[in-house]
Amino acid sequence: MSDIEERRLEKKNFSNRLLFIYIFFAFLFTYFLSKTYSLQISSFSDYEIAALKNKTREVLIQPRRGIIYDRNNNILVNNIPSYNLIVSPSQILNPDILLKNIQQVISLNSEEQTYFFENFEAKASLNRELTIKKNLSPEEIARFEVRRHKFPNVFIDERFSRQHIYPHLFSHAIGFVGNPNDDELEEILSNQDQKLRETRFNYSNAFLLGKTGIESIYDKELRGTFGKKVYEVDAKGKLLKELKFIAPLPGRDLKTALDIDAQKVAYDELDSRRGAVVAVDLDTGEINTYVSSPTFSANKISNGLSSSEFDRLLEDENKPFFDRAGQGRYSPASTIKPAIALFGLENNIIDWDYTIDDPGFFVLPEDGRVYRGWKKGGHGNINLNDAIIESSNTFFFSLAYQSDIDELIKHLSYFGFGRNVCKDCFFPDNGLLPNPQWKINNLNFGWFKGDTVNIGVGQGYLSATPIQLAYYASFLANKGNLNNLSFVKNNIDLKEETFKAKNIIDTDWQKLHDSMIGVIENPKGTAKRLRNLKNYIIAAKSGTVELVSTDTKEDYKIIREVEGKRDHAIIVAFGPMPNPKYAVSVIIENGESGGSVAGPVAIKVLNSLLKK
Amino acid sequence: MRNYSRQLNKDLYFDPYLFISITLLSLMGLVFLFSASQGNYDATIKQFVFVIFGLLLMFLLSQPDPDFYKNNSLIFLVSSIILIIATFIFGNEINGAKRWLNFGFFSLQSSEMVKITLPVFLAAYLYDKPLPISFKNTLICIILILILTNFVRIQPDLGTSLVILIAGLYILFLAGLSWRFIGVSIGIFLLSLPFIWNNFLEPFQRQRILTLFDPTNDPYGSGWNITQSKIAIGSGGILGKGYQEGSQAHLDFLPETETDFIFSVIAEEFGFFGVCVVLLMFFFIMFRCLYLALNARDRFCRLTIGGLSLIFISTVFINLAMVIGIIPVVGMPLPFISKGGSSLLSFYISFGIIISMATHKKLMQR
Repeated sequence: MSDIEERRLEKKNFSNRLLFIYIFFAFLFTYFLSKTYSLQISSFSDYEIAALKNKTREVLIQPRRGIIYDRNNNILVNNIPSYNLIVSPSQILNPDILLKNIQQVISLNSEEQTYFFENFEAKASLNRELTIKKNLSPEEIARFEVRRHKFPNVFIDERFSRQHIYPHLFSHAIGFVGNPNDDELEEILSNQDQKLRETRFNYSNAFLLGKTGIESIYDKELRGTFGKKVYEVDAKGKLLKELKFIAPLPGRDLKTALDIDAQKVAYDELDSRRGAVVAVDLDTGEINTYVSSPTFSANKISNGLSSSEFDRLLEDENKPFFDRAGQGRYSPASTIKPAIALFGLENNIIDWDYTIDDPGFFVLPEDGRVYRGWKKGGHGNINLNDAIIESSNTFFFSLAYQSDIDELIKHLSYFGFGRNVCKDCFFPDNGLLPNPQWKINNLNFGWFKGDTVNIGVGQGYLSATPIQLAYYASFLANKGNLNNLSFVKNNIDLKEETFKAKNIIDTDWQKLHDSMIGVIENPKGTAKRLRNLKNYIIAAKSGTVELVSTDTKEDYKIIREVEGKRDHAIIVAFGPMPNPKYAVSVIIENGESGGSVAGPVAIKVLNSLLKK
Repeated sequence: MRNYSRQLNKDLYFDPYLFISITLLSLMGLVFLFSASQGNYDATIKQFVFVIFGLLLMFLLSQPDPDFYKNNSLIFLVSSIILIIATFIFGNEINGAKRWLNFGFFSLQSSEMVKITLPVFLAAYLYDKPLPISFKNTLICIILILILTNFVRIQPDLGTSLVILIAGLYILFLAGLSWRFIGVSIGIFLLSLPFIWNNFLEPFQRQRILTLFDPTNDPYGSGWNITQSKIAIGSGGILGKGYQEGSQAHLDFLPETETDFIFSVIAEEFGFFGVCVVLLMFFFIMFRCLYLALNARDRFCRLTIGGLSLIFISTVFINLAMVIGIIPVVGMPLPFISKGGSSLLSFYISFGIIISMATHKKLMQR
């Protein structure tokens, strides 16, 4: 009985305990089912995306960058396609072994090997691509492609490199391209609805960014839109098959107003001297010539320059990278005189019959300070027309002396001084149009009457860039109507800038043009030597920028022993008269004579533009 | 025909419910394995041979009377211990672990055998002990369990050693271990956790446990497996991506697709629907075993059926918990589905014994 009872008890005990465990497992079972439910149904879309991200990889396809043309549809900058062997260094553990293996398939010269090792670390840390070899031959491509599986992180792809047809002519005007930094890259990609993080192969070589000049200003238009290849990849990152292909959209071609021939003439005439030439189409405000000298090869900068070569350019004391045309500040010197003359006429300080007696210097009545002219003994009794032709300083000292500085400054800013006059120049300098407030803020000195007198001959604090001087010349040529300057075709018919004058009438403009014609054509003209360099009429005003103030010619002779202290030569000109088509400004640093040094350059550029 | 059928029932011992469900599960497993092994015919055919052999073995092992297992349980246990010792001496070392004995055509994972012989021995040892089990007997059992567990742990094979540990504890519990003893043991276990953490776990095992709590902490290191497994399961959705279409499984994102993570492959390719079908099969087997255990002929059979079926269920649940990221990755196959010789065979053997226990009635009960 007790045995049976005990067995019953034991069986009950067993059943309870087994059921206890089973109930526990039943709960677990339900939990697993709900957990799987939440993974597969509630969070399905999250995991679906995660799985998709796992198995796909996007490779961007470089778009062809827009071609840049001159005004006669000649190609200035083009793209050269080349098949390159490219590696993704961040995925490579041992570069030595990789290079050794690659060399069994594609031979590399020592330069390519050095480039590979020198750039490996940097590119790997930035997760950028590294080009091992450019311009692969079809045989090399075939040899590599059949062994492609051995190199999961190496591939061959088409890359465009930027090529200037005239590598030195447009280095400052058009500028060059380069690799964007991470911030720039992120911006480019977000503009194109691509995300940097999701684009695993964010290869720098495939990305070109305009760094300077037109390439930079019109970068968005020229850039184009990236295409995309979406690959299926395995866990090791091996590309298995192409799932999707979106073709890249090439960048927009850009027709500029630049003129190869005139550009070449300007470049040749400057002949590596420090200086700049800017020429403008008077009808449209388009820039036809834009040269800064000395210069550099834009191709070399765009497509890789050895560091020693780059350092040499950087340390060159002539500063070839410096864009003198847009950023160089020069005193306008005597070229300012026509603008000052217009101020005198507008404010009824002088008229065309007004004369002064020029003894060769001007004495400031306040303190007796002497302001000298360039000609010893002076120009005698002189009117406005002759004062421009002969470039009498005394006349303009005296005129400036009678001017209200604030009014004068307002007047000069119409002519482009102290402001940006270019729509698409790369970081143009505004020069300096000084005023009393500026002087007290920057130099901690009050404005002297003598400062105003100096402005009368374009010296002192006043400075302008060659592009501003070209604008100024154009404004004079157009009798006070002009578009802002631009490298590309201006679509605006209305002149954006108009000189608003009360007292200046067309006759005044006519007379001013005549006196500027006299600068060349008149036997007393400061640029009379230019007369035989052309077979049409040109209006001009030359200038000589004093870097060091000297009282006598003997003093200057000592100064000019040092080339860097010699005067700058400067000229603004437009023609052909009486209906001018182009205006030009030329600066030659330390060229000494505006008329005879800068003048011929200006004439030859005008000749070229006018096909004469 | 009717005569023949009666003859079969009379002379052969056979549980149709378990036999059919296990056969079905094994065949489904072959289908899954073919996909999980990237369409590897050799691996699938080899597994097929194991399945056939296993089913045959299961059938054969269900023929002897339970007394045969009871009377020879010590011999079985000692044999399996000898196999373990032999493994230490002659075993093949793979990835720093000595777990396999090479028989030429088949590598035997000796620890898999202990998983069966230990509970059978304990059941045979305890079936006639009065309730509640004396402290002396409890201690003998526990020492035996711990020695065998440690044998396997130092191979090292943490997963199987844990199964052996719980296998022994299941029998002890079912046999009527006193609740007081259980309470005290749990208390001691909890107190000694820090000691176990510091002295019994390898650094990689600790890392696995830590990863569990924050798999995103290290998605490409030790958390990779769990993360990828969850992605595979989650991206399966309701109906899955289709047979052999799982990108996680087929592009190598999922580790160990043929063994530990085969459930993730099923979930990815057949979705929640496939998961439910597989889980229902396991659920069915689980409750058939419960029924058989509750209706077994004597205490030895009860304990054996209960113990062996709980090991089976535990293995299933440890595998599932692992692939859905509830517990650390321990290396536990999904019974009847994962690729593998020894563990697969061990479950056929277990169910052979279970069927034997369930189908043999005592003469007086007939």
